[in-house]
Amino acid sequence: MKKKMLIISLLFVLGLILGACAPATPEPTEETEPPAGEEPTEEETGIDCMGAEGGEISMLYQWSGAEEENLNTILRPFVDACDITINAESTRDQALLDTRVQAGTPPDITFWNVTQLEQYQDQLVPMTDLGVHEENYPQFWQDLGTVNGTWLGLPVKADPKSLIWYSPVNFEDAGYSIPETWDDLEALVEQMVEDGRTPWSMGFESGDATGWTGTDFIQDILLVTQGPEYVMGIIDGSIPYNDPGVKEAWEMYGMWAKDPQYTIGGAEGTVSIGFNDAILRVFSSPPEAMMVKQSGFAGGTITETYPDLEYGTGYDFFGVPGVQGLQGGSDWMMSFSDSAAVQALVAYLSSDMGGQKWAEVGFDLTPNMAGQGAYTDPALQTKGDILANAENFVPDIGDSIPGGFGSAEFTAITDFVNGAELDPLLDDLAEVQAEALE
Amino acid sequence: MAEKNVSPVMKQNTHVPWLYLLPALIVMSLFIVYPMFNTIGLSFQNADGTASAATACREGEPCWGIFENYRYALTEEIDGSSFSAAWQSFWLSSYGNTLKWIVVMVTGTVVVGLLFAVMADRVKYEALSKSIIFMPMAISFVGAGVIWKFIFNYGTGDTQIGLLNAIINALGGEPVAFLSSIPVNTFMLIIVGVWMWTGFCMTILSSALKSIPQELIEAARIDGANEFQIFFRIMVPIIMPTITVVVTTMVINVLKLFDIVYVMTGGNFSTDVIATRMYTEMYKNFQTGRGTAIAVILVLMIIPFIYMNINRFMKQEAAR
Repeated sequence: MKKKMLIISLLFVLGLILGACAPATPEPTEETEPPAGEEPTEEETGIDCMGAEGGEISMLYQWSGAEEENLNTILRPFVDACDITINAESTRDQALLDTRVQAGTPPDITFWNVTQLEQYQDQLVPMTDLGVHEENYPQFWQDLGTVNGTWLGLPVKADPKSLIWYSPVNFEDAGYSIPETWDDLEALVEQMVEDGRTPWSMGFESGDATGWTGTDFIQDILLVTQGPEYVMGIIDGSIPYNDPGVKEAWEMYGMWAKDPQYTIGGAEGTVSIGFNDAILRVFSSPPEAMMVKQSGFAGGTITETYPDLEYGTGYDFFGVPGVQGLQGGSDWMMSFSDSAAVQALVAYLSSDMGGQKWAEVGFDLTPNMAGQGAYTDPALQTKGDILANAENFVPDIGDSIPGGFGSAEFTAITDFVNGAELDPLLDDLAEVQAEALE
Repeated sequence: MAEKNVSPVMKQNTHVPWLYLLPALIVMSLFIVYPMFNTIGLSFQNADGTASAATACREGEPCWGIFENYRYALTEEIDGSSFSAAWQSFWLSSYGNTLKWIVVMVTGTVVVGLLFAVMADRVKYEALSKSIIFMPMAISFVGAGVIWKFIFNYGTGDTQIGLLNAIINALGGEPVAFLSSIPVNTFMLIIVGVWMWTGFCMTILSSALKSIPQELIEAARIDGANEFQIFFRIMVPIIMPTITVVVTTMVINVLKLFDIVYVMTGGNFSTDVIATRMYTEMYKNFQTGRGTAIAVILVLMIIPFIYMNINRFMKQEAAR
């Protein structure tokens, strides 16, 4: 009994000590906050706070970890200059955003995909009302963010997919040069086959999303042969997916993807090689193929497996030649509020300074043309040049058509490369497209 | 009359058993009964459950009115242009594939399981050999799928990292793309299923075999029966009830099968089964009506086997 009392009293004392400790710990961190004081004036920072000093902005975005840090670094000068408190939440769950918007309690700012502009068109505050610096954005970016005549979102980040990765060393050995036009590319491919080399690595195995590498490629072909308006027409349903133009693109792709002379392993190789593996096979020694068309992430895949390869000599990329617009993913800032703090933020991000800061941090590319030239990473700068020279920018067809179109497209291309007849596949896709866009 | 002898403490009102059942009933109705009725309801509605399924009908195309989702679920995969086309497309549809799975996997697991059960009974290291057969059961479906994906891997160059193709290569053959060649691929997936579930069948059948009275077998031997006669005329008839239970359980398992196909081919290359198709419609195509209609069809297909299983169970209970 005595022992039990002792234990209880010891626990009690321990509890007291812990209790006493608790409030003490956070104090030092509070002290480390920079003392408020002389606010930097506008002349010093070049940031117009619009009288929003000390304001708050609530945000909801999909970025987390390193991505979130990038965003914070980009916003830092603005936050410091205007003493803005940002209450950010990070989620990949769009349902959360939908719920908030429908409940009438949206965040002030959200960074989301281009499709949300149309979805929330009734709730969003037009960019032109928020003091956006229009001059930094090419017309096509403004058009992409415009719904029913109103510019609703600010493109902040772009990741072009229309890239072809190759090994400069291998190209030099074989005496090949970078194609300038689509015809050049076709000629180069034929030359490679003649020389006994395999031009493409096309593997697109990717679990239940198998096929996306193929549909990306087809969209690039469409951007060459038909152009961006045509692709946007597919996305809005005015051009059915079984249109002859689409069929032609599939046939062009199939000619390469199914033939072992043109791609590693022919049809069987294309459907069974994993998409990451497909990238690496261009850089193995000896290389199994000369080129792979893949999005921006390929650089990371290459250096992870071949850390000795240097950008510019060991690996490099060029834009798909002849495209009349880039294909890619983009993130958009949209605003549900027109508070002074939000206006100051829009002004900051769309300003020269905001664009340069975004490029400097290297959070993919910035559509803000003031950022062009400010990239610190040479690979990003090359991509930035490709973006700066782009005539247009279009989102992925499969991602932009709602419902199951994307997955139906993946399945169709997989079946097509695996030997299925093309016409019924495209008819089925056109049906899914029509249903989704009804 | 017996009631009078029961002490008042033991006496219960008729509602007391219900009280004991209540927690289970609440959980069951919340998580099984309600979702089931909701599923049935949704299967008669459109893609997002906002209107009747009949609204999805299109002019000039066949339509089953409120049963439109069922029309889609049952006929969409079948090419009805001619009898032979319908026959061929059926065998590559999710229903045809599920049928292949049932026939091959159930016979495979039960026959091989029974064989191992009989054999293991006669070897020195019974426990060890049985654990080896049983081991795949301890691996998750996804894990098994990934393992076998490597075994079936198809390399395009000279090096084959897939075990099977490496063997074929070493023997001088041409490598085969096992997972994308129709119709071999479905059978390749079924092998994975057999590999996983044979241990389960073996264990149950083995315990049934052990319960056969030794005297019977000895008597048969004395009468001059050979081992095959003992197996087919004595052992199999005696354990027949167990075999039935194992078969029906396996059929239910196979009907629900999803993971192996999802992990290894994602339903591509005509390897879809009913469960993966349901998933695709539901979560990739966002066609709630169609997805739930397939779910209802799946449940209807499973019910007879559940009935058989329960029936057998009741008979066993009654015999006690």
